[in-house]
Amino acid sequence: MRLLLTVARLSDADRLVPITSAHVSGASYKMIGDPGLEFLEDFARDARVRVPTTVNPLGTDLAQWRELGVPETFATKQRRIASAYETMGARPTYSCTPYDELPRPAFGEHLAWAESNAVCFANSVLGARTNREGGPSALAAAIVGATPDYGLHRDEGRQPTVIVDVHTRPRGIDFSLLGLVAGERAGDGLPYFRGFRGTEADLKWLGAALASSGSCAMFHLAGITPEARRARLQGLKVLSITRADLQETERRYSDGTDADLIAFGSPQLSAAELRDVATLLGRTPPRIPVWVFTSRAVREANPDSVAAIERHGGRVLADTCLEVTMLEHRFGTVATPSGKGAYYLPSLCHQKVILADVRDLLERYA
Amino acid sequence: MRIRARPIAPGRATGTALVHPQPFSFVGGVDPRTGAVLDRGAPAPGLSLAGRVFAFPHGKGSTVGSYVLYGLGRRGVGPAAIVNSRAEAIVAVGAVLAGVPMVDRVDVGGIRSEDQITVDGDRGVVELPEVRARAVVSAVLRNRGRILIVRRSEAVGSFQGRWSAVSGYIEGREDPRDRAVREVREETGLRRLVLRATGQPVLARTDATVYVVHPFLFDVPSRAVRLDWENIDHAWVRPEDLGRYDTVPRLEDVIGSVLPSTASTPTPSPRRPRKTIRKTVSPG
Repeated sequence: MRLLLTVARLSDADRLVPITSAHVSGASYKMIGDPGLEFLEDFARDARVRVPTTVNPLGTDLAQWRELGVPETFATKQRRIASAYETMGARPTYSCTPYDELPRPAFGEHLAWAESNAVCFANSVLGARTNREGGPSALAAAIVGATPDYGLHRDEGRQPTVIVDVHTRPRGIDFSLLGLVAGERAGDGLPYFRGFRGTEADLKWLGAALASSGSCAMFHLAGITPEARRARLQGLKVLSITRADLQETERRYSDGTDADLIAFGSPQLSAAELRDVATLLGRTPPRIPVWVFTSRAVREANPDSVAAIERHGGRVLADTCLEVTMLEHRFGTVATPSGKGAYYLPSLCHQKVILADVRDLLERYA
Repeated sequence: MRIRARPIAPGRATGTALVHPQPFSFVGGVDPRTGAVLDRGAPAPGLSLAGRVFAFPHGKGSTVGSYVLYGLGRRGVGPAAIVNSRAEAIVAVGAVLAGVPMVDRVDVGGIRSEDQITVDGDRGVVELPEVRARAVVSAVLRNRGRILIVRRSEAVGSFQGRWSAVSGYIEGREDPRDRAVREVREETGLRRLVLRATGQPVLARTDATVYVVHPFLFDVPSRAVRLDWENIDHAWVRPEDLGRYDTVPRLEDVIGSVLPSTASTPTPSPRRPRKTIRKTVSPG
């Protein structure tokens, strides 16, 4: 409680607002290390969550860490982190796509979510309300059942700060590229996009990249997202993004020449995306390892897709995701269509990156 | 001297200050076992935070920093208290978890390593018993994008020959804003001032004295300046050209505290190193 009041004071919030769910980050041992483990185990002695709480991906797939070459000490400490969260009453989802877990937040619900892509999706696509919480503040909110009422919890905090006109029709990887370049230019602003359409899946990749290269917690897309109609646009600066910007971004984020791993995920794939990857791998089986990140629920519900991917030498990993997972002990260059992955792999996993569309990647490494 | 601050984390502690003039990350910036400062930008790397009042502008980097600070406190090698210019969630949350008293909205440029310092995180007060405070106003005058600087004469009591904004001592209990308006009239003859901004006090340190500078920004309708005995020259300059002048300490920070920031310019590359703030105190 004291922690929430501190966060409230920092942000000049004068009250807390009750939340319907929490999503906590800081579950990968690779990311939080011994200090995080120590804190969570201390906290788990008496703290219990009060609202439904999901947890971000771990640092490895605990069902197949041996096959992945992960050291035993790492796996042991990773398991202790998971146990601490479970002791506190959190659901062991270990997913970065809590919006795909049921029940999905409804329009207007207040949440305390960490994990930038989930925050961006919940605000923008679902019309739920959450700030970009940090791991400890989301956990404190889960325990108290409320979070400081400021920023994106309030109507005025959901108004756009910049208009982004897109002069090209994005498809496939373009949504990640658009997110990367818009995030760089919008910084911590709230962009209002115009000029294209996209499915919910497209907007997931757009938001994930936007929230990586920028610290955007929400965007509007004219004619598509639920709060775009309420947006006030008068006096806002207008940015333009063209096909050339997207191509330049793709080149700029690709610093590798020869990949030794193809990775799908970040965010974790939905059931439909998993099926698509399975089909594509069947058409052009790759000659280098393929890791596919998804949630435990999706992996369990889609055994046929999993079997198809494994038949072509791929691995379907659950409970973990691309940049928080241990892969630096085995690989040096990762090819991925994920804009978020391309943004974080160099710093968090010491990897070189090849950022390209799924089909291009599979053809290149067939 | 006594500085009013914003309370962040409760508790009260006294200790020797350790000032880190740049934004600080507890992840990678400190040895989590011993509390030794590892950051290569530190004035004295290797010094331990244990028992010190740790002053730095603000936190940066990974949110894991909260856990590191918690761990330091748990092992008894954490700081006695924390003073920030602008608190952000990583350090604030860590201070609460670790039970370390913390305040912010204190310009850490006014504190030197080795100062004795008391931090009250309940009431929001910082005390430096060995340091004397002099309250001054600094009036930044703006006309069509340029700001006025004046060169101090040999007849004034401090910083003779250096360039500064229009400034003066605050007497007794007078309102700083009234003093600022009066100084502008006396030193420049300019009238019809429009107050545009009031900045958080900037602390300009010289040995045992801290000048507590209250910055104000005024728009003025004219550039016709009539100097009095306090100054011998004046210039209307672009803010970015200030570096060319030999100024009083921290003039750029005073001006920066009231001018609209240029921080909204887009970052062209995600891998460009973070811009660090200018060093503002000398190592103690």
